[in-house]
Amino acid sequence: MSDSIKLSRRHVLAGGAGMVAATALMNPSLLANAQEVKPAEPKSLPEYVKWKPADALIIHSDRTIETKRSAFGTSIITPEEKLYIRNNVKEPDASIVADRDAWQVSIEGVKNPKTLTVGELKSMGLTTVATVLQCSGNGRNYFQEKLKGTDKKISGTPWTVGAAGCVIWSGVPLKAVVEALGGPVSGAKFITGTGGETIPEGINPKDVMVERSVPIKTLDNVILAWEINGNPISLAHGGPLRMIVPGYTGVNNVKYVKTVALTEKETDAKIQATRYRMYPLGEKGAPTQPSVWEMSVKSWVTSPLTDVKSGKVQVTGVAFGGMNAVESVEVSVDGGKSWKKAKFVGPDLGKFAWRQFVLSTDLKPGSYEIVSRATDSKGNVQPKDNEINASGYSYNGWIGPVVKLAAA
Amino acid sequence: MIYIRNSAFFFAVCLIACGTAGQSAFADPAKLALGKQIFLEVAEPKCGVCHVLADAGVVGEIGPSLDDLRPDAERVEAAVVNGVGVMPAFEGLTPDQIDALAFYVSTVAGKAQ
Repeated sequence: MSDSIKLSRRHVLAGGAGMVAATALMNPSLLANAQEVKPAEPKSLPEYVKWKPADALIIHSDRTIETKRSAFGTSIITPEEKLYIRNNVKEPDASIVADRDAWQVSIEGVKNPKTLTVGELKSMGLTTVATVLQCSGNGRNYFQEKLKGTDKKISGTPWTVGAAGCVIWSGVPLKAVVEALGGPVSGAKFITGTGGETIPEGINPKDVMVERSVPIKTLDNVILAWEINGNPISLAHGGPLRMIVPGYTGVNNVKYVKTVALTEKETDAKIQATRYRMYPLGEKGAPTQPSVWEMSVKSWVTSPLTDVKSGKVQVTGVAFGGMNAVESVEVSVDGGKSWKKAKFVGPDLGKFAWRQFVLSTDLKPGSYEIVSRATDSKGNVQPKDNEINASGYSYNGWIGPVVKLAAA
Repeated sequence: MIYIRNSAFFFAVCLIACGTAGQSAFADPAKLALGKQIFLEVAEPKCGVCHVLADAGVVGEIGPSLDDLRPDAERVEAAVVNGVGVMPAFEGLTPDQIDALAFYVSTVAGKAQ
């Protein structure tokens, strides 16, 4: 054992020296250049999310930040500090959260359209809902891994499991607001929310603006939320007001919502018309393809993630049903050959929340491949894997997030 | 024995990898210049409207900072060909232009002083 470690250490050293020698040999200018070009700084949290704990996060870019798989905890709710970030467009100026109650949202497509402040919304109704907030591309990494070594590529952040969290929103049911304003105009088929981001000169606003349409059947669930986990929603997560569409992927939950319209058609903004669509590799996005809306049943293990001592081990994870309650979860430690039913842990926060599960098991010395598989209340079972789609959306397979480890 | 075989292999890999990177990064200023021109002038909408890239002197704030993201060439190419999130697919660019653009961005991102 110690011999092989020594060998590999020497091997690494020899390889490293070889690399420098080879580099200089092939291109002497490289050494000179190395002095001119400063190495890039490690990625750090951008200003608008400086309050987040960097050690709990994977910073992909200033617009894409993932919760570490080891950081979800076992108390169901994801603290806002640890919640992932995916901003399609730069957030508005922080001045919009200086006086939150003054933020205005225009309600259109109702019999009596009106612009309301958050302060006024607070007088119109109140509801609280726990939801899984999950980026449409969560798990894209597992699609991208499958394409390695081929000439096909999926663009976008290589999220694993951490572009998701379970949070509690408080706000007014959109239905109460719509009813107070005389109800929907006839023919309304969609709820279209528009984000309050500023679009700079030099680009057609429709090309990049965040404006999403969801089917009007969601009116029973949609809330206009001002609070997350007991606090006013931070600017980074969409405060002062965010349109929450429970069970729908992150992009549909429009931040800094400034207009909510009941519309006959889906918006023609590109983020709706051609982006966030499900279509095969090699094709182009079009309004005829399915929109990325509802989430499907999904689960993953959150612990253990690294080698363990043999003996009793608590395998934990999270599971949710998307639009339906999650009914049960099974865990396999042999890569899906055999399954055992896990127990849910803690209170049930409703069908849009996730549940945490545990399987108490005994691991003898050896190698393990730990996976989990959820079933929802309609009998939908989390699949082993998904067919690849061009943008890498909506991965919910159980094999992607497999944890390979050893018990010693 | 294992040691000798592996280090020889490693050395060969280094020769190929570093040689290729060295050549492509520093023996092809024309490609770099073309990529920069496409970044600044040809691609429509212009890359700098949405992205930060210090080497190109742009500070667009819609999408991620490329100096922060530091994508490799394959990632740039995939993003330009397919789009990402609200970023459109740049259908007006030729494969050679995309190749040069990807080369340029992956070479300079995160490295300007």
